[in-house]
This record gives sequence, structure tokens and C-alpha cells, in this order.
Amino acid sequence: MAQVEETLKRIEASKGVIGTILVNAEGIPIRTTLDNSTTVQYAELLCQLSMLARTTVRDIDPQNDLTFLRIRSKKHEIMVALENNYLLIVIQNPCE
Amino acid sequence: MKDVLIFFSVITSFLTCVPVVIGVFTLAALRFYFGACSITVWRCKGCQTRVVHSAEAVVQTVSTTISSTQTEPQDQETEQLLLLLQKRDEPEPPGLRDFLQRVEGLVIRELVKNAKSHAFDGLLVNWEDYSQRVSCLHCLQHPSAQERGLHVTSVSWSCTGSVIACAYGRIDDGDWSTERSCVCTWNLNRRGLHTKQADLVIDVPTAVTALCCHPNQPALIAGGLYSGEVVVWDTSRTQDPILAQTGMSADSHREPVYQVAWVPLQRKGEFGVLSASSGGRVLLWTVDSDQGRFVLNAAYALVRQQVPHSSSARFKACGSNTVGVTSLALSPWDPDTFLVGSEGGLLLRCSFSSQTPAAVPSEGQSVTLRAPAVFSFRPRSGPVHSIHCSPFHRNLFVSAGTDGQVHLHSLLQPNPLVSLRVSDSYVFQVQWSPTRPLVFAAATGQGEVQIFDLGRRSPKAAATIVQGDAGQAATCFDFNCQNPHLLAVGKTDGTVGIWQLSTDLTEQSSRESSQLEQIANQVAE
Repeated sequence: MAQVEETLKRIEASKGVIGTILVNAEGIPIRTTLDNSTTVQYAELLCQLSMLARTTVRDIDPQNDLTFLRIRSKKHEIMVALENNYLLIVIQNPCE
Repeated sequence: MKDVLIFFSVITSFLTCVPVVIGVFTLAALRFYFGACSITVWRCKGCQTRVVHSAEAVVQTVSTTISSTQTEPQDQETEQLLLLLQKRDEPEPPGLRDFLQRVEGLVIRELVKNAKSHAFDGLLVNWEDYSQRVSCLHCLQHPSAQERGLHVTSVSWSCTGSVIACAYGRIDDGDWSTERSCVCTWNLNRRGLHTKQADLVIDVPTAVTALCCHPNQPALIAGGLYSGEVVVWDTSRTQDPILAQTGMSADSHREPVYQVAWVPLQRKGEFGVLSASSGGRVLLWTVDSDQGRFVLNAAYALVRQQVPHSSSARFKACGSNTVGVTSLALSPWDPDTFLVGSEGGLLLRCSFSSQTPAAVPSEGQSVTLRAPAVFSFRPRSGPVHSIHCSPFHRNLFVSAGTDGQVHLHSLLQPNPLVSLRVSDSYVFQVQWSPTRPLVFAAATGQGEVQIFDLGRRSPKAAATIVQGDAGQAATCFDFNCQNPHLLAVGKTDGTVGIWQLSTDLTEQSSRESSQLEQIANQVAE
């Protein structure tokens, strides 16, 4: 577990990172640096969106698969790295 | 010298048989008499300290208070989440470590690249068409109210943002009037919108002086009448829209109700109605829809003697005892605080949980009256028509009255932080914008609604809305929280204008919150 914590700490130490959330296959967040209600909201919404993005990529080309999803909004950027079982959500404020 | 004295005293004592007062010398003399060869001289030295001051003091507590806190039960989801996060010593989920190892490098590379990237510099995306102008979309009128010369006293958007409810009455009536009036609603999203014909007209026996739509249920509207009654209408009912009314009981107001507001009660999801009248009473009602009446939950009375005085307030002990309430504001940040403005220009911060009994004779109410005032701001010279708390900062609020100025106050200081001259006549209403922290609007007696932006340096208005003739006062307006570019303005000629605001008045920029924070932290002179 210590290794997991260390890895997450390295990610959080990057410039501009506001928060990170680690979500398991069932959509339940297992590690987070944000408050509870925000975490639950992000986990739920981004799980749905990642599934939709993934099916879009696979429908276009069945040999292809989604590796990374980035959403840029006016206030910050949300990055989602995903695999079969887990989702890593990082929220970064890239500028200023 | 001393031996001489001893000798002398011996002689004296034997001759006169008077006992010698000084015992020392007597002893010495006796020894001398009984043939001791040596004379023993006893010396005695005494000293005395200065007077030691002592004092006693006792203390007794006159009043005691006990307070306790309790956390609210958390809802299911967050409890599960917490449990999960707290089980740190659980065996790690399978594959987590590998996943993170694979993903870490990629994520950190992207984060670093993003921090340095100039790809999105200066990119402005607007989902809606950028509109530079403020334009009038509709001008709603109710012909029968206009014929009778009624003024629009209050407008309120429903919680869905598509229905506007307007109340008619008079703002300049000092006398008791028995004129009938009405409440009209228009649904702006309907295709067949008739600006001269309201979708729903509710007849009311007296003038309506206050209106407020329910924050969750779009069909409920609370209204305050000139006769002192508080009514809740249910617009989904076709037969009789009145859901509950106070009637004329010992509990209800005797003077016109100038403000009604929906207040969240302790149980989640329930709302009560708070009404304030110029009789100096602020009452909190719960709606009993089965019986069609209100139940008085809490009652507050404002009396001049119980108003706290700040150091800069000039206390004028004249006129009547009651403090007639003309405006009311709830704080969205602190459910215990509410602000009250009075006819005499007093501006008070009050507390729902105050337990001090009010110094008024009991008139047979079902609930004891309490004095809610906790803090007094610098009083104005005329009635305070409107107060509004900022939705973006917990300590700021604006107030406006008959002096033609809008004052920006902090809850922590008695003096205003900023005073802006808005017009030469009365200001009837002031309200913060729901989307931009630095913007507020004020409705003036000259018929304009001026929109101010505190981020701009100039004291002039950022935008002015002029509707119809200049002679008619703009009495009320309301921002639409669901569609923030809409603003409804009611005037004394009986028209309600729906205006579309330009994008720069509704879109928040990134620095605004910090600028507002800076303004709030100023110390007033």
C-alpha cells in the first residue's frame, strides 16, 4: 500500500494539481484528496463519461481502445487514465 | 545617661511608691537594689511594618449558559465512502499497484506538458451568442390592472426560471384601501405567449405588497397583503388556488406585510414562510395544507428599547415604540441570521435563535414574542426599502433606501464599506447578480434600473435599463437564477419588462471572487 500512496503523492505534487481520485471497477472511489461530496460527484459522472468515450472509440475501430481522456473547461482540466478495473482522475489548473 | 535615669527612677519609686511604668527600668533597678555588682541594662528594640492593606472580594455568576453541538447524520453515499477510505489496512485491491505503475509515467508527463503548454492561451469559448447589448424581450401588461392604475409591487421568478409572477397593488397609498387587485403569471417558454394576456390571474381582495416563489416547488407562491394577511397560492389547482392563509387571528399581522420569504426549516426539504410587516413583527409560519391555514412557528417583535446601539448610532427617542419593518433579507450562508430594515432607517442583524423575550404586551398569541436584534448598523435617514445578502461572500450585503444611495455593508462593521450614489430619488430595490460576484442592480424612482459593476473603477453604472416613460418609478425587479441573462422589471405604470442582459454582465471572470474578497476585507472609515 505504501507504494500506492507514494505514486499518488508524486502525481499530486505536479504543478497545478487540485485533486486526484482513484476509482475502482464498481465506480466507488477508493482514494481521494477532495471532500466527500465532490468526490462522489466526480466519480459518478466521469465513470459514465469514460464508458461512453470508450464505446465510441471501439465502435469506430474495434481493434482500438481508449487510453486517456482529457476534458478542458474554462476553469481547469480533468484528466482520466483508465483501464479495465480502475480509473485515475486528476484535476489540474494548468495556467496562472 | 541611662544609668542616671535608672538611679533617678529608683529614688522616685521608693519615695513615692508609684509603680514605675517602664518595666525594663524597674527590673534593672531591682537588680541594682539587691546588690548586684554589675548593672544589667536590657535593651529592647521594636519595629513595626507599614500597614498591610488587605481587601476582600467575592464574585457570583448571575447567568449561566449551556450549549452543545451535534453533528448531522451523513447520508448513505458519503458514509460508505468514508468507511472505504478509512479501511487503510485492508489488503490492497488486486491489480491496483500494476495499474498505477503503468499509468503514473503517462499522467505525470501529461500534467507537466499541460502546465507549460500555450496551446489554449487566449481561447475564449462561448456557448451562447455573445450579446453586447441589453435589450427588451417582452413587455407584459395586464389590461384590467392597468385601467385601474395599479402599480406592480413585486415580481418573482419561479424556481424553474420560466414563469414570472407579478403582484399588483399600490406603493404610494398611505390610507387603508379596499381596492381589489391580482397576481398574474406568465410562462415565457410557451409558444403562445401573449404579452397582454396573463396565463393565470388570481384575484386578491386587497393590494398585494410582497411576493415570493417557492424555491423547490414551482407551483407555490407566497404573498403578503396590505391587510396584513399572508397567503400561499398553489397555481396547479384550478378550482381555488389558495393553499393556506393566515386570516385575521390574534397571531397575524395588523399592518401591511412588506416582505415574505421562504425559509428552510430544520427538517430537510421543508420550508416555512417568514413575513415582516410595518407593525414591527417578523413571524415564521409553517404551512398546514390539509386545513388550509398557517401555524405560527416563531414570532419576533422589534421594539425600540431592545435595539442594540452601536457607537456611531444616534438614538432618537421619539415617535412610536415599534420599529416598523420594511425590508427583510435572509443570509444564504448562515441559516440563523436575517437582516431587517425599518421605516425609521434602522438596519439590524437579527438571529432566529434569540431567546430574549420582547418587551411588548402579550396580545394572546400562541407563541411568545422574542426580540431578535443582535447588532445594529449605522442608521439611515429614511426607510430602508431593500436589503440583499451577497450569494458569493458570507459577510457582504447591500441596502438601499430613500436617500438615493446604495450602501455596501459588511456584517462585521457598523459603517458601510462603499456608498454609491444611484439616483436623485428613492431607490426601491437592490439585488446582487446571481452569476457575477461584483455586480448588483438597483431600481430607482426615476424609472431606471441601474446595474453596477464594482470591478470597474468609475462610479457610473455599467448598464442602465430604461423602460417606458421616465415619470414612472421602477418599483421592483428580479434576476432569473436559472437563466441568468434575464431580468424582470416592474414599474408603476403596470408594465413588467423582461430584459436580456449582455454577456459581460452575466459571465463571471476569473478574478472576481478575489476582488470581492478584497472589498470585503476593507475597514470602513
